[in-house]
Amino acid sequence: MKRGAMKTKTYGILILGLSAALILSLFTAVLFGNADLSFQDVYRVIGYEVFHTESLSAYGQGAVHDVVWQIRLPRVLMAAAVGTGLSVCGVVMQAVVKNPLADPYVLGVSSGAYLGAAASILLGIGSVFGDQGMGIMAFFGALAASFGVLFISGIGGRTSAGKLILAGMAVSTVCSAFANFLIYISQNREATTQISYWSMGSLATADWDNVPVVLPVMIVTTLIFWTQSRKLNLMLLGDETAVTLGTDLHRVRIVYLILSSLMVGTAVCAAGMIGFVGLIIPHAVRMCLGTDHKRLIPVSALTGAVFLIWADVACRVILDYAELPIGILVSLIGAPCFIYLMIRRSYGFGGGEA
Amino acid sequence: MKINTEDLHLSYGAQEILKGISIQSKEKEFVGLIGPNGSGKSTLLKCIYRTLRPDQGAVYLDGKELSTIRVKDSARKLAVVAQHNHYNFEFTVQEIVMMGRSPHKKALERDNAGDYAIVKEALQAVGMEKFADRNFSTLSGGEQQRVILARALAQQTPCLILDEPTNHLDITHQLQLMRIVKELNVTVISAVHDLNIAAMFCDRIYALKDGRIAGEGTPESLLTPEFIREIYDVEAEVVKDKKGQIHILFVE
Repeated sequence: MKRGAMKTKTYGILILGLSAALILSLFTAVLFGNADLSFQDVYRVIGYEVFHTESLSAYGQGAVHDVVWQIRLPRVLMAAAVGTGLSVCGVVMQAVVKNPLADPYVLGVSSGAYLGAAASILLGIGSVFGDQGMGIMAFFGALAASFGVLFISGIGGRTSAGKLILAGMAVSTVCSAFANFLIYISQNREATTQISYWSMGSLATADWDNVPVVLPVMIVTTLIFWTQSRKLNLMLLGDETAVTLGTDLHRVRIVYLILSSLMVGTAVCAAGMIGFVGLIIPHAVRMCLGTDHKRLIPVSALTGAVFLIWADVACRVILDYAELPIGILVSLIGAPCFIYLMIRRSYGFGGGEA
Repeated sequence: MKINTEDLHLSYGAQEILKGISIQSKEKEFVGLIGPNGSGKSTLLKCIYRTLRPDQGAVYLDGKELSTIRVKDSARKLAVVAQHNHYNFEFTVQEIVMMGRSPHKKALERDNAGDYAIVKEALQAVGMEKFADRNFSTLSGGEQQRVILARALAQQTPCLILDEPTNHLDITHQLQLMRIVKELNVTVISAVHDLNIAAMFCDRIYALKDGRIAGEGTPESLLTPEFIREIYDVEAEVVKDKKGQIHILFVE
């Protein structure tokens, strides 16, 4: 019955272990890919770019350099960033709506992004952004949808967890109906394929233009939420109890929602839609560590990063001739793992009697 | 710490629950609220602990109007043991009690050894120290209630608000809980279901009926057979034991 309380020492070891695993993963994951490169070559390229050592200057250009430095490394970093972001967002969303089944997309973010992407491809809105048009429109779609949800749930009194979920569902439905309508009336087969491919998620677009934006956003927001762990804990006790314990959550909740929309919007913009990470990672961590956010947030962040790095590696190597969309893979691996954990730990979704 | 309310009115939709309630509590006084179901006891307490905002009237803490005090400051003055405590997520007993320390914490402050000592002491006071690592949801209703009391103790406030705290408790723990609260020697406002418990522990009692105050006084002066009939519509006998403590017997 002690599963909720892990000793501080064990926790310290866990954090160290996960950090080591993350660093190891970053270095190992760059070895995998379609091009057959020896690991000496890979590390020489990285060594040259990081330290600019004269003796390695031969690796400063050419095909090997481009594959490692322009394609693989940004992609691995992006996987870590998006994995962290989605996991932390999942933790926060579950606290904000006080529902253990919430995920980062609960506020209609995914369908908002979907609509944004559809509008960009089919109607050419956002073409001013050039190549990144679809991602950026998806970002704005996601933000617009979550602000819409916030606005609707605030009408006629204070925002409550229940109202947020219902408003999220309503906005989701409207957005996906619109997006599907656009797809239905358009005769553009190619664009339709592009949207559906995007909606399955991919990290292939990672490069040195977007990684330096996405990675800091995810790290900074994660740190911000980590400092908020006391309030996140109180949030789970409900607004009434939180007031008697000295915290009025009304405004805090809105700030958290805006921050997490920013995170999810950024993730969606960079990698399309990757479902399930934000649901399964927080749950898996909670099953082992309990609910205290002081531990839940850093452990979820690290676990999410490692998980998505390896999921992306698997996507690159499973098929010989093409890449598997990461959204599909995560759901395929994630769901059975989740069911296994659920059965083995007789996990009651936190409901006690459930 | 004195808590006063002045002419509180509150309605849910068309139904008026509180119809002008004024109560006064003195320093370190144990004030009981009695009355039938739906008489407005919980609603009155919720106005005091800020979950509900009265439509009219005000609550004063030591003469200061409650709505002008920051939530964090009022949580350092009032701790609450409410009726329903079901949480959707699993917390350990220790984590729940530790949350009682949050009004004393700055934004980025960590829990220190002092906080852990306070939490341990609070758990010892309610006899739950062996349960510190258990998950809250696996405890029985009575044990959960004692943990919530421990959280209120950890808050270290000069005033305690209790909403029928002895619900779900067996007689041993009913008396134990009330004794703990009494011995704290702080201002207490408590809704009490059981008239005998009220008579044993309260210094003064307010009786509520239909959102109004129907009577006020010491247990002995207030709890007469006539008054109990008026409030609850039942027949009762009031007897005194050897120590002079009154007991209420319900008769056919």
